Amino acid sequence: MSTAQSLPALAADFPAPQIAYSALSPMVAVFGAALIGVLVEAFAPRRARAGLQLAVALLGLLGGLLAVGLLAGTREVTAVGAVAVDGPALFVQGTVLALGVAAMLLLAERSLESGGGAIVAQAATVPGSADERALVGTDHLQTEVFPLAMLAIGGMLLFPASNDLLLMFVALEVLSLPLYLMCGLARRRRLLSQEAAVKYFLLGAFSSAFFLYGLALLYGYAGTVSLPGIAAATQVTASNDGLLYTGLGLLTVGLLFKISAVPFHSWTPDVYQGAPTPVTALMATGTKVAAFGALLRVYYVAFGAIRWDWRPLLWVIAIATMAVGALLAITQRDVKRMLAYSSVAHAGFILTGVVAATRAGLAGSLFYLLAYGFTTLAAFGILTLVRDADGEATDLSSWAGLGRRSPMVAGAFAILLLALAGIPLTSGFTGKFAVFSAAADAGAAGLVVVAVVCSAIAAFFYVRVIVLMFFNEPAADGPTVAIPGAFTSAALALGVAVTVVLGVFPSPLLKLADQAALFIR
Amino acid sequence: MTTKDVVFGALGLLACCSGVLVVTARNVIHAALWLVVTLGALAACYLLLTADFVAWVQVLIYAGAIVVLLLFAAMLTRAPVGPGQDLDSGNRPAAALVAGGVGVTLVTLLVQAFRSAYVDLDRVAGTGAGRPIGDALFRSYVLPFEIASVLLLAALVGAIVLTRPEIGRR
Repeated sequence: MSTAQSLPALAADFPAPQIAYSALSPMVAVFGAALIGVLVEAFAPRRARAGLQLAVALLGLLGGLLAVGLLAGTREVTAVGAVAVDGPALFVQGTVLALGVAAMLLLAERSLESGGGAIVAQAATVPGSADERALVGTDHLQTEVFPLAMLAIGGMLLFPASNDLLLMFVALEVLSLPLYLMCGLARRRRLLSQEAAVKYFLLGAFSSAFFLYGLALLYGYAGTVSLPGIAAATQVTASNDGLLYTGLGLLTVGLLFKISAVPFHSWTPDVYQGAPTPVTALMATGTKVAAFGALLRVYYVAFGAIRWDWRPLLWVIAIATMAVGALLAITQRDVKRMLAYSSVAHAGFILTGVVAATRAGLAGSLFYLLAYGFTTLAAFGILTLVRDADGEATDLSSWAGLGRRSPMVAGAFAILLLALAGIPLTSGFTGKFAVFSAAADAGAAGLVVVAVVCSAIAAFFYVRVIVLMFFNEPAADGPTVAIPGAFTSAALALGVAVTVVLGVFPSPLLKLADQAALFIR
Repeated sequence: MTTKDVVFGALGLLACCSGVLVVTARNVIHAALWLVVTLGALAACYLLLTADFVAWVQVLIYAGAIVVLLLFAAMLTRAPVGPGQDLDSGNRPAAALVAGGVGVTLVTLLVQAFRSAYVDLDRVAGTGAGRPIGDALFRSYVLPFEIASVLLLAALVGAIVLTRPEIGRR
């Protein structure tokens, strides 16, 4: 009785928080589609699930893209200061959504593997058991992977738009947890896949703990978790520098882990290799793009005033990341691992744009992220096509002479590798030019010299694969190249087209990135 | 030094000592039970700091649910629960070194940072009660709070995917 009387009174003196749902509409579309996907999983008959799930996911992603397009130009802080919708956030969200569409198409491809696709038939079966052997050739499919991927993409949209560290932490977990799970769902080589999942989960949990501890220390320093609030504190407070720098350092560990920068890169090759290739494609592109979006926001918005303190640190990390990524990629005998180290090296190249700490650096990084994302996604997509009896044939030696047997696929892969190497007339060159010139203008000429040397080292192993494909005799028992189904073809065509178009006509997107490159503070 | 300070110090010491016992105990079940003591002592510390809501949440969630979960996990898996099982790996000295180093660094850092900070507990009484926390949760931090439910959904779906074979054919 007493509660019935007091509830309206309580509600009256609780002002509801203002949330502009229109500004959050890309996230609402993606999370909404993920929830519908969970319901489909519960109620739809098994035969219809895979098709329905793909339709729901694509609708959600395209709806999100439409929402990003409609929001273009918005500069708004909403949800009680927790979310900032501004140029960089929308640019990164648009990139993640477009990459998400392509990754979803790769996930949905079922013609390559006797009807089942790259995802395990039943994750709960024991690897090597009779149950598993009976299921591997069937068209069973763990369709929960679609809502899980949508939840991860939703987290990737929220991560770069978080204007306070608490929401950023929750978004980091929302994007990571489904990826940990999806890593363990490969159809073939289940033990390798499960090992990758456990490794990624444990190391990811550690890195999240670092992020959280850094967050706590920064709260102790600034008395707030909002990025503009921390920025204000760095401008007025001169005491407690220990808390600030330790907090910033620990926070950076969490972020560098997600972009797989050296020395927090050691998980990358193992996890990329063990995960199902479409999931690897999503991890290597979407996660990296979103994490760079968040990293840029943290450094530029919250710590822009103390950039002279963090720039030397990022200098060292950028150099180490480029050098280790490029040098270790040379030693790899496996194409998938080589692409993993290549993604480490590219994290270093993008960090040179971050080090610039200028508007040009931000614009260059945004352009680079988009260019790198599409190229890498298509490169992993092509890995799914080259197969032998055990599934994907990723050993470098088995790719010899591929250009003679399958000139289309080998030619597309060559274009992507040239773009990753940064050869002119590809998107990779434009991206590298944008970040390097921004870094040089900002007084980091030494870093640019190292970056150019590392690009040359990296070009060596990309070109080596091209030489191997086109100028070597094919092995007698080499792999076959599967005819890609409609979904894979669409994803690969998108990736290759973006790579070439951004190399030949980069100016519209460069202009867009330049217009977008202004954080709301 | 007031009675509160003495009690707080004693509880802190209790939490630290039982924390050490959690990692040195030879039996997983004992370690889990020592964890209850650690978490309970921390909850009492929160109570002394007038954060009563946080203290009861600590008792309910951590000392209650989480430790029960740990015990269930030990029961349902083939974890070595008997005495005499060797739980230590060869990395023990290295781990002790890293943990000790991190501990010393953080304690030094926090002591340095808050050496002169002083909070009058009588003046802040009530800030740790249910109402201000509910206010913060449903106003300032409503979005992270709601997004956390999405995270839980992902974890639930994932748990089902990884553990439950399809029952029946439809």
